Amino acid sequence: MAGSPIARFSHVSVRYPNALANDDVTLDILKGEAFALVGENGAGKTTLMNVLYGLVKPTLGKVTIQGQAITSRHDPMRAMAMGVGMVHQHFMLVPGFTVAQNIALGSEPRKNLIFYDMKKINAEVLALGKRFGLPVNPTDTVGELSVGLQQRVEILKALHRGVDILVLDEPTAVLSPAECDDLFQVLRGIVRDKDMTVILITHKLHEVMQFSDRVGVMKQGKLAGIVRTQDTDEKRLAAMMVGREVLFDELRTGAPTDREVLRLEGLKALDDRGLPAVKGVDLTVRAGEIVGVCGVEGNGQTELCECIMGMRPQTGGTVTLSGRDVSRLSPREIRGMGVSFIPSDRLRTGLSAEATVMENMLVGKQKLPEFRKFGVQLRKKHAVDYAKRLSEAFDVRSGGVDLPMKSLSGGNMQKAVIAREFSFDTPVLIINQPTRGVDIGAIEFIHEKILEKRAAGCAILLVSADLDELFRLSDRLVTLYEGRLTGQFANGTIGKQEISYYMTGGRQEADA
Amino acid sequence: MKKPHLPAALRALAMIKPKQRLTAQYLLSLLIAVTLAFLVGAGIMLLCGYDPIVCYTALFKGALGKPRAFGNTLAKTATLCLTGLAMSIAAKAGIFNVGGEGQLYFGGLAAAVVGARLIGAPAWVIIACALLAAVLAGGLYAWVPGVLKVKLKVDEVVTTILLNSAAIYFCSYLANGPLKTAEKGISSGTDSIAASFSPLIRLSNLNGSIFVAGVAALLIWYLMTRSTAGFEMKITGTNPRFAKCGGIRADRLMIWGMVLSGMLCGLVGMTEVFGIHKRFITNLSAGYYFDGMLVAMIMRYQPFGVIVMSFFFAVLTIGGSAMELSAGISSEVILIVQAVIIFFMAAEGGIRQSFSAWAARRRVRREAAL
Repeated sequence: MAGSPIARFSHVSVRYPNALANDDVTLDILKGEAFALVGENGAGKTTLMNVLYGLVKPTLGKVTIQGQAITSRHDPMRAMAMGVGMVHQHFMLVPGFTVAQNIALGSEPRKNLIFYDMKKINAEVLALGKRFGLPVNPTDTVGELSVGLQQRVEILKALHRGVDILVLDEPTAVLSPAECDDLFQVLRGIVRDKDMTVILITHKLHEVMQFSDRVGVMKQGKLAGIVRTQDTDEKRLAAMMVGREVLFDELRTGAPTDREVLRLEGLKALDDRGLPAVKGVDLTVRAGEIVGVCGVEGNGQTELCECIMGMRPQTGGTVTLSGRDVSRLSPREIRGMGVSFIPSDRLRTGLSAEATVMENMLVGKQKLPEFRKFGVQLRKKHAVDYAKRLSEAFDVRSGGVDLPMKSLSGGNMQKAVIAREFSFDTPVLIINQPTRGVDIGAIEFIHEKILEKRAAGCAILLVSADLDELFRLSDRLVTLYEGRLTGQFANGTIGKQEISYYMTGGRQEADA
Repeated sequence: MKKPHLPAALRALAMIKPKQRLTAQYLLSLLIAVTLAFLVGAGIMLLCGYDPIVCYTALFKGALGKPRAFGNTLAKTATLCLTGLAMSIAAKAGIFNVGGEGQLYFGGLAAAVVGARLIGAPAWVIIACALLAAVLAGGLYAWVPGVLKVKLKVDEVVTTILLNSAAIYFCSYLANGPLKTAEKGISSGTDSIAASFSPLIRLSNLNGSIFVAGVAALLIWYLMTRSTAGFEMKITGTNPRFAKCGGIRADRLMIWGMVLSGMLCGLVGMTEVFGIHKRFITNLSAGYYFDGMLVAMIMRYQPFGVIVMSFFFAVLTIGGSAMELSAGISSEVILIVQAVIIFFMAAEGGIRQSFSAWAARRRVRREAAL
């Protein structure tokens, strides 16, 4: 099935002011193959593909697409003309337009040379979706679609241009497990039936195994190796990525005390659209215990966490912290009572991208005497030293603590958030998606840190979309479905297959 | 209002320019932009049949040549600097104060009323009381849109622009009506004040208020760059949601940013009244705040940069009118130069990007050659 090279990178280097993002990469992508590009955060996967798509110019080296070398004026328009389409992590869609309008954007069909031919494009999009097994309703407004469907529109947008090479940058980060399976099935179909080339950028190894014919592993900007998927397994790939063996064994469970620290009773809250998102949750977390909240994303997890933190008004119920009702307190007061919080959306809630690494790490401690003199002035030197120490302790790799946060890779940003929140030494931790968009090496590290916290007697509420993570860390598991708890289990008494019934509300009816 | 078209244009400029750090690279490109702007200005002069060298000499002489001219330039610098810092401190906390003119008018009026009533008190008491009144009036008038923004999510740009007109016309009504002076020969103004800042250079606009302005600028610089509150403001300004979640009182800081901004504007109004006009007059400001906003945005709300750029803009403004007289060229040319500088600033990001990409390519090639 796979044939001659369709895209060739020879000795490609990309240098950014502070880093070498790609270092002498030589790689052939073959026609009609499913190729996976894996590596840790900041390993240079996305950069390399951005070169192909014309978003980044190579500082050195040569790239040819379908036998044609790219020029110094290569840009996405030219890339598309040469047959390369790319679907980014962050969608580039116009929310107010319909599906069809988005797909046709830039190549709108016309009637009598002037008028936008809406009928024609609607029919085209409908046919396109059918042909590739990605059905959409052309007249839906994109802003009202789920993330999974928006991604489908992105893919169709590329396919509509008639591309031969389709690049997807971490497409599953926003999808539920079922949606992921669907997506890969469709992609395999495209490769098999339409003789297209699909390149998948990811750091999830099971996706690589499920999807690809060949894998390229990137490490610190270099191509560490290319292997045929059938000749390798997840363990070996992980070792190639990280440079050492990564062992995801079952981790020991803790010894929870009987002391109840966090108690939720009948907690209710609305989502951003004003619809009920949390519909009466009763839950307790004891000191030295990790309670894992399982659920498909969008079932009220984020609202639940924000509600506990005082970021979202409660519409009913109470939150009790060590016996005190904190339901109406502000985030500042709740933090003052000993709660730390790792939000799921680091760029929106967890940090300030424009502020420096030091400033981000200082938030919450700026009024301590260690960092403030005369009651008004910031002790900058102390703060810088502190940020350096914290960076070292949590392995946050930055070009310097005085650089803006946005210069860090996603995984390092997440580690910086965790470093700050864990350094408060609070008795309660609310953790939402600690390892989203984080690579294997860092996941292992973050898990260890969470377990250290439990050993120190922390009461931890852990929300994750990753079942493996929850099963590995939690003492107790609860399932959240449409804002209600549908099950509670001690870890070890239930399997992953079975718990997913509860996550999708399947057993709820049966129990009732 | 003097420049009704400006706020929208400035707002647009703010959209183009993300808040960024002031770096050596940025200063370099600023220098390039200024040079290019002067060259373009020279081209326009040539087109109009003037000798650019003669014109520019007249400009710098007119701004810096004589003590009197230098005094005027310094006085202008102080005004630009205070208004620029007013814009900066609000922007730092993530709130956009376009209502500086209104706050300036109320500050000036409050100062004039206090100054005219305290007849017989020692000069320093009068000045101190007027200062307090001006700062309070300006701050209070800024507090309203601040609270509306934070509590009711009313866009502060809209409210502050509207409140400008409200303030200017209300003050104008007072100065023409209830507070109109009985003195002859004054068509629309309040009673003259009982004490004022003494001029520092004869016949120039430079007066004792420059020291007040200096102290205020220093305080704001300290607050923005050295203090814990400034740090909290930066976090709030760059991501209010994160600030709130991190335990910072973001709402309160935003209101404070607005109030401090209004206080500075009130102070400017007071210095105009006490330094130059000796009474409140209905056209107290010729769009001073909008000039300050411009300076603040070009310097990306960095206090030190604002102070330096204020001086540069003062030279252009004062020298521009001198040039008009001595070289016979219209001072509109200077407005063109100013506009061109802003234009180049807006393109600065792109210029720098292509420059650093070029530098990186060169470096890698050199390394590869070794």
